[in-house]
Amino acid sequence: MESDIILVIVVATALAFDFTNGFHDTANSVATSISTRALAPRTAVTLAAILNFAGAFISLKVAATIASGIVDADIVTTTVIFAGLIGAIFWNLATWYFGLPSSSSHALIGGVVGAAFAAAGADAVKGAGLLEKVIVPALVAPVVAFLAAGAAILLAYRMVGRLHPGPVNRGYRLGQIASLSLLSLSHGTNDAQKTMGIITLALIANGDLGGANPDPPMWVIVSAATAIALGTYSGGWRIIRTMGSRIIKMDPAQGFSAQTGGAAVILTAAHLGFPLSTTHSITGAVLGAGAGKRLSAVRWGLAGNIFLAWVLTLPCAAAVGALTYGFTRIFGTGAAGPLIVSASLLVLMAIVFGKRVQRGPALTTAVDT
Amino acid sequence: MIAAVDTDALLELAWVAPLAVLTVTIAWALVIRGTTLALEARRNGRSVAAALHGLVAVAGGALFMAALVFGLLIMISKD
Repeated sequence: MESDIILVIVVATALAFDFTNGFHDTANSVATSISTRALAPRTAVTLAAILNFAGAFISLKVAATIASGIVDADIVTTTVIFAGLIGAIFWNLATWYFGLPSSSSHALIGGVVGAAFAAAGADAVKGAGLLEKVIVPALVAPVVAFLAAGAAILLAYRMVGRLHPGPVNRGYRLGQIASLSLLSLSHGTNDAQKTMGIITLALIANGDLGGANPDPPMWVIVSAATAIALGTYSGGWRIIRTMGSRIIKMDPAQGFSAQTGGAAVILTAAHLGFPLSTTHSITGAVLGAGAGKRLSAVRWGLAGNIFLAWVLTLPCAAAVGALTYGFTRIFGTGAAGPLIVSASLLVLMAIVFGKRVQRGPALTTAVDT
Repeated sequence: MIAAVDTDALLELAWVAPLAVLTVTIAWALVIRGTTLALEARRNGRSVAAALHGLVAVAGGALFMAALVFGLLIMISKD
C-alpha cells in the first residue's frame, strides 16, 4: 500500500516534469518562427503541441532509463527517481524564470545523479557515462550547430541576397513552418520518451511490470504525450523571447538557417546514436545564424549567461536531487517524505505563479512579434 | 574515461550535420530563387526563361522534400 502511494506520487511528478519539459522547450521549435512572423505565437505553439503529441507515438522504443550508464541501476528506487525529478523540475522552473534556455534532459540526469549520490555515495555515479552522455554532447552540440547555421546563412545570403526582399522573406517564412514541424515532431519523439521511460522504470521497481525490457502500457504513452503537449501549448514565453529576439534580432533567412541548422544537427546525431540536447543545438544555431551575418549582431553577454546556465544545470539539479532525497529519508522509507515534498513544491509553485499573475499579463505573454 | 566517448560518431557528426544543413539551405534557396525569377520572367513575357527558372524551383523543392522525408525516417527508425 505504502509503495503504491509512492508510485502514484512518482507518476504524478514525472508527468509534472514532462509538462515543464514541454513548457521549457517550446522555444526550441517556435521562437524563431514567432520572431520572424512566420506564424502567430498562438498558432505556432498549437502546431508545436500537436506535433509533440504525435511525435510521442512515432517511436516507441523506450529508453528504459534516462540515466542508464550514468548511475548504478541497482540503487535506483522510486524515491531516487522522485528526488531526481524534483531536481529537474526545480532547474526547469528556475531557468524559465530567468528566461534562459537549458537542457531538460541534463537537468533530469543531474537530478538522478544527485539523488543516487545521496542514496549510495560516489560509487553509484559512473564518471565515464557522465562524460559520454552529458559533458561531451554539451560541448559538441552548440559548436557544430553554430558553425552549420553560420555557414548556412552566408550561403543563403549569397544565393538570394540580390532578389527583392518581399518574396525572399515570404519564402523563408514558409520554409520555417516545415522546419518548425520537423523540430516539434523530433522533440516529441525524444522528450516524451524520457517520461515514458521514467514511469516504466518506476512500475518495474514497484513490481507492476516484469520482463527484461517491457513495453510501456498505453496509459503511460498517452499521459506522457498529453503532458508534454499541454506544456508546449502553455508556452514558456520568457524563453521564447530570449531565443527569438533577445540573442539576435533575426530576419526570416536567419530564422530558417537557425531552425534547419539545429534540426540537422539533432537528426544527424540521432542517426549516429549520439545523444545531443535540442536546446543546446538550437541555441548554438541561433548564435551561428546571427554571427554569420555580423558578429556584433549577437548579444554575447546574454550568450554568456546562457552558457553559465548550461554549466550549472548538472550540479544545481544534482544538489536539489540530493537534498530532496536526504529530506525524504528524514521521514523514513515510506510515503510521508515524498508526500511532504510534493505538497511543499505545489505551495511554492502556487506562490511563484501567484506573484507572476499579480504583476499582470504582460510578463506572461510578452513576445516580440 | 576518454575511451567512453565515441570519437568516430563525433567526427562523422562534425561533417555530416553541416553538409545536411548546407544541402537543405541550397535546396530551399533554389526554390525561392527559381520561383521569384520565374514569376519575374513571366511578367516580362520571357516564357522559356520562366520555364527554366520554374524547373530549378521544382528541383530545389524535390530536394527539400527528400530531406524532410529522410528526417522523418530517422525519427521513425531510431533506436
